[in-house]
Amino acid sequence: MSPAGPLNRVPITIKVPVLVAVLMIAVGVVASERVLSGLASSQVRQIKGLTNAYLDGLTSSLIEPVLRGDPWEIFDVLDQARQLDAAVRPVETVVTDAAGLVLAGSNPRHAAIGSLLPREFPAGQEHQSKVLVREEASQAFVDRRLVVEGRTIGTLHAEFDISALLAERRNVFWTLLSTNAALTLVFVVLGWFAVFRMVQPMKVLADHLERSKSGAVRPIPAELLPSPDTEAGRLFRRFNSMAGAVGENVALAARLSDEERLASLGRLASGMAHEINNPLGGLFNAIDTLKKHGDKSLVRAQSLSLIERGLFGIREVVQAALATYRAKDAGRALAVSDFADVRLLLGPEIRRRHQDLDWSIMSEDIPELPGNPIRQAALNLLLNASAASGEGGRIRFAVRYEKPVLSVDVEDSGPGMSPEGITILTGSESYAIMRDGKGLGLWMVRRLVDDLSGRIEVSRSALGGAQIRLRIDGARGIEQSDAA
Amino acid sequence: MMISRRGLIANLGTLVLGNLPRQAMAGGSVALRFGLTPVLLTSDLDLLDHLGAYLQSASGRPVQLVTRRTYQEITTLLVSGQLDGAWICGYPFVQYRSQLELLAVPIWRAKPLYQSYLISDLSRNVTTIDQLAGDVHAFSDPDSNSGFLVTAAELARKGTKPDRFFRQIIFTYGHRNVVRAVASGLAASGSVDGYVYDVLSEVEPSLTGATRIVRKSDWFGFPPIACPASAVGSESTESLRRALLTMHQDEKGRAVLQALRLDSFAAEPPSLFDPIAANMALVRGLG
Repeated sequence: MSPAGPLNRVPITIKVPVLVAVLMIAVGVVASERVLSGLASSQVRQIKGLTNAYLDGLTSSLIEPVLRGDPWEIFDVLDQARQLDAAVRPVETVVTDAAGLVLAGSNPRHAAIGSLLPREFPAGQEHQSKVLVREEASQAFVDRRLVVEGRTIGTLHAEFDISALLAERRNVFWTLLSTNAALTLVFVVLGWFAVFRMVQPMKVLADHLERSKSGAVRPIPAELLPSPDTEAGRLFRRFNSMAGAVGENVALAARLSDEERLASLGRLASGMAHEINNPLGGLFNAIDTLKKHGDKSLVRAQSLSLIERGLFGIREVVQAALATYRAKDAGRALAVSDFADVRLLLGPEIRRRHQDLDWSIMSEDIPELPGNPIRQAALNLLLNASAASGEGGRIRFAVRYEKPVLSVDVEDSGPGMSPEGITILTGSESYAIMRDGKGLGLWMVRRLVDDLSGRIEVSRSALGGAQIRLRIDGARGIEQSDAA
Repeated sequence: MMISRRGLIANLGTLVLGNLPRQAMAGGSVALRFGLTPVLLTSDLDLLDHLGAYLQSASGRPVQLVTRRTYQEITTLLVSGQLDGAWICGYPFVQYRSQLELLAVPIWRAKPLYQSYLISDLSRNVTTIDQLAGDVHAFSDPDSNSGFLVTAAELARKGTKPDRFFRQIIFTYGHRNVVRAVASGLAASGSVDGYVYDVLSEVEPSLTGATRIVRKSDWFGFPPIACPASAVGSESTESLRRALLTMHQDEKGRAVLQALRLDSFAAEPPSLFDPIAANMALVRGLG
């Protein structure tokens, strides 16, 4: 899985409303741009229409005076027409003759009779209904040829002040901007609120799922359950069903664990009885010998020695039983003697199977960790290794402490760990449910190590079977581990 | 008494502008046809209404006011007998002296006289006609005394003609238009009726304010009211003459005179226009 980017880490309850807000703003901007663009086009068309209409009206009045070359008449027409139109105000109109010299203009001081067309007018362009707009100067220029019988007798040049139209556009722009900004803000807030409400159930679900990482999956409380008609309601109920199933599974596993423990105890009791029974025969023999030949010092010494060894054997078995009961004292810290207890408990199994046990505790310095779970886990792994190795097999046990990590290695000469076993120990599903009760010991190891926030590694052992390594961080201490 | 607009509108039913030939009006009376040249402030429709109303009331006949763009058009109508009388300029009067007779001459500032003004843009520092050489010059009408002949005669005395002396001459067919042409910068200088210029200074100071008077001419006979020589003594002509000569005695008439800034109309001898005739001869002599 690729690592999550900073954006992916943002909660969905923030991400979605922000996305909605950004979309709202984008829609506002695009809509405003389209409206303004449309307005600009419409205004250019309007300018064209008005100026052309204006020039059309003038042209017919100007033909006669231009033909006569009558400056006064031309001026009079231009001067009076200037005061007529209001939509587009002509700033200046000039009529030139066929040679391009001014016949008369509405502002004779600027365009004197007989002079060249002032430079402000687009030179040499007879736009023929094309309007040249210079927005920066609020000007529009248009030319119209005066044609009689197919011959151009002069040209009418007009400059219009389009500042009113541009001011209208600016006005629309600001109105649009402020209205859109206000609406977008309102929609952003409403959108944010609505989407926040919509994704809120997701947050509840996410919180519960998140919490399940550190413990049992807890169902969502009834007061937080939306109506079953809603999508969230159905989802929550499905989640609760799943949480219930998981809880039952965990309970089942715990029960199986207890049963296994009892079974172990039974096996232990049986083994203990067997171990006590063996020397008992010898002891009774020794007592009989003492009764009959107690007066002989050699026989007496041999018999007492035999009785002593038999009692030593019984004491070992009793100590092992005591070690098992000591498991109840949960808060006790791990000690090297715990591993000695494990060895003691394992002894009967090893001997029964005539196995070879290689035992090494490589450090006297042991971190302060809960003793019981580690001892339990080590015992389970060893019992498992003993069972896997079979008659005459080899088992290796090693404890290392390389600060701050405590490593416990168990190797065997068996056929190796089954894939199911590896999954139980190292799979991402913390509490893989066993289908047939097998692997319960491994499952308990996994739970114990998880409780200690430790890690389990499974590999191939040099002995031919499985190598299982528990790695537990000793810096966590007892309190934290217990709390976990 | 001021002439009320409402009263004038009531009279408009019998006042027809520029419709020829003569029309018989209600009641069988024949309309009196009176022509007006741009010597007057013809753009002032109120004034025309007042004048028509007064003439109608004074003559006892319907009045038909006839206006035309040029002096020549009105003079032609008058000489050809299509008008009973017309307010023309002294120059057409001496041009058609044999065919026209004087009915009355306006009295302005106690005299039957007026001047021609040479005007220029206010910003120019000019005092003589010589400084106007090479200008675009605005004249009123080729048949106007003050708006053409006076300046042409002055140039003729210098041995030159307007189209040679000036770079370009333009005719605006109205004294007010001469002032507009100079004020706007279309023409650098112009020849204008001094009476019209002075009245304009009073009623439209923003227009004349952009111009300055370069020089005032000698005094000439004020543009007269003339009638065709053939119609002298006719009832129409006489009623028109009476209406004019008694205008200052009538309330409506005084309102018209006031609007025109005139004192009255008086009978004057044709010799009043001899200086104009002399100028005409001078200009014609130059060819």
